[in-house]
Amino acid sequence: MPEGILCNKQVVDTKEKLNALLADKSGKQYYAEMKALDIDSKALWATLEKTCKSRLRTWLEICAHCGMCADSCFFYLANDKDPKQVPSYKIQSTLGEMVKRKGEVDNDFMHMVMDTAWSKCSCCNRCATYCPFGIDMGVMFGYVRGLCFSQGFVPWELKIGSGMHRIYNAQMDITTEDWVDTCEWMAEEYEEDWPGLEIPVDKENADIIYTVNAREPKHYPEDLAEAAILFHLAGENWTVPSQGWEETSLAMFAGDWGACKIQVESVYAAMDRLKPKRMVVTECGHAYRATVLEGPYWAGLKSGKTPIESFHYVEWVAEALRTGKLKIDPAKRIKEPVTYQDSCNYVRNAGLGDCAREIMSYIAEDFREMRPCKEHNFCCGGGGGLNGIGLYRQARNIGLTVKRDQILATGAKLVVAPCHNCWDAIRDLEEVYKIGIRWSFLKPLLLSMVEVPEHLKPKDE
Amino acid sequence: MPTVEFGGKSFTVDEDGFIDDYTNWSQEWVQYVKKEEGIDELNDEHQKVVAVLREYYEKNGIAPMVRVLSKVTGFKLKHIYELFPSGPGKGACKMAGLPKPTGCV
Repeated sequence: MPEGILCNKQVVDTKEKLNALLADKSGKQYYAEMKALDIDSKALWATLEKTCKSRLRTWLEICAHCGMCADSCFFYLANDKDPKQVPSYKIQSTLGEMVKRKGEVDNDFMHMVMDTAWSKCSCCNRCATYCPFGIDMGVMFGYVRGLCFSQGFVPWELKIGSGMHRIYNAQMDITTEDWVDTCEWMAEEYEEDWPGLEIPVDKENADIIYTVNAREPKHYPEDLAEAAILFHLAGENWTVPSQGWEETSLAMFAGDWGACKIQVESVYAAMDRLKPKRMVVTECGHAYRATVLEGPYWAGLKSGKTPIESFHYVEWVAEALRTGKLKIDPAKRIKEPVTYQDSCNYVRNAGLGDCAREIMSYIAEDFREMRPCKEHNFCCGGGGGLNGIGLYRQARNIGLTVKRDQILATGAKLVVAPCHNCWDAIRDLEEVYKIGIRWSFLKPLLLSMVEVPEHLKPKDE
Repeated sequence: MPTVEFGGKSFTVDEDGFIDDYTNWSQEWVQYVKKEEGIDELNDEHQKVVAVLREYYEKNGIAPMVRVLSKVTGFKLKHIYELFPSGPGKGACKMAGLPKPTGCV
């Protein structure tokens, strides 16, 4: 059974394997090897028999091919209503066929499945809200990704990402020492402007344990500093764990369920170890989905819930503004038209749309809703890992046109995007289509307008 | 793969505009990225960041975290952003001829 050196059915669990993949720029060798990869049909069918049952099998069988899901899918709309982009077609022609053929599929078929699962579905789950039977093709494609991963058919960047989780308990190469060092560094650099600023590491029994996305310590550490300043101004008793600080899961995007479990258990272990009252996660959508919504099941927690109550950052911000822990200077509110990108992962999938509106009512004078919005909003266009997959850049850029047109219709030039994936997609949208917009997380906006209590101001002020 | 021409040289780039082959990097590429990133004037500090990124990449096969970049160059985070407004993970890596960092960037 031909297995490539880089592209194969094995998981990436050593630095040697990881480094070999990283050295293969853009996955040239990886994808070349994928063309020769054999399918283990026996194993594929065994997995289908064992796991594709009850809900998934029923969904496959009851689909009436009514086409109600078609217009719900931004890929369908962005691709001139191509029938091959209808969600029910996409799932029936992939998972449906795999089941019909009892796993007897070939390499070309698996390539088609991989292309469909990662470049024609961002697992945004919007179709489920329009299907008369509630069939959720996003959930099904999440499952299909797992099947693809087990056969070695997974985009190069996501194979790397899931390997990072197995090796570093983070989607990027950050050790505990690196993380703690970055926390100390950020507190030190910003302490000049914010006297008494701290990033407390491993403090037990704090009110809040704060978890982040590895991109923050790796590439955007100011995000961590901004979170610290806002907690500082709000007077929160908070901490970050030295281990278990990473809440994202590229493993979830990759369909590497083993790595998903490893990753999420590292976060839950931090909760158990430090015994905080609640967890707050940074402005990331899929981190919330992975650790709060799906993680308890990966970890086998019978409650279906995280070990402690867990909140998305927008919930904390809304609460801080409501209770007056953070006060906005009315003169500094956003005056220009501004819109809000509802993240699929914490709005459609967790119902936090009202928190977002509450926040906007405090910080913006001319808030413009996208249409549709809240749980009906379209994916940013880069969700489900799509932003990070070079192979599918063209498909992603076509998909971005739906979001582009939604933003343009609001007349706003500023987009608030409290989700890293949405933020990146909107940044790239501007880079590709140049429509003259800006985009921002909440933290820098809040810092530009929050009232600083007298006792927290620098002494020379 | 698309190509870009600049300063009499031709560079193959990936789908995100990062140079496709680290070994094809040259000062002409640096000048090209300077223009693309809207950097007014290239100074020794930009070159220092580029040199540190390349040295780290040659040794480790991956871009460093910003903390490492700050430690080795002695530049504060705010200053790194002054040098590279699109950020160390994007503009600086691009100028240094590193691949686009993988993951959520």
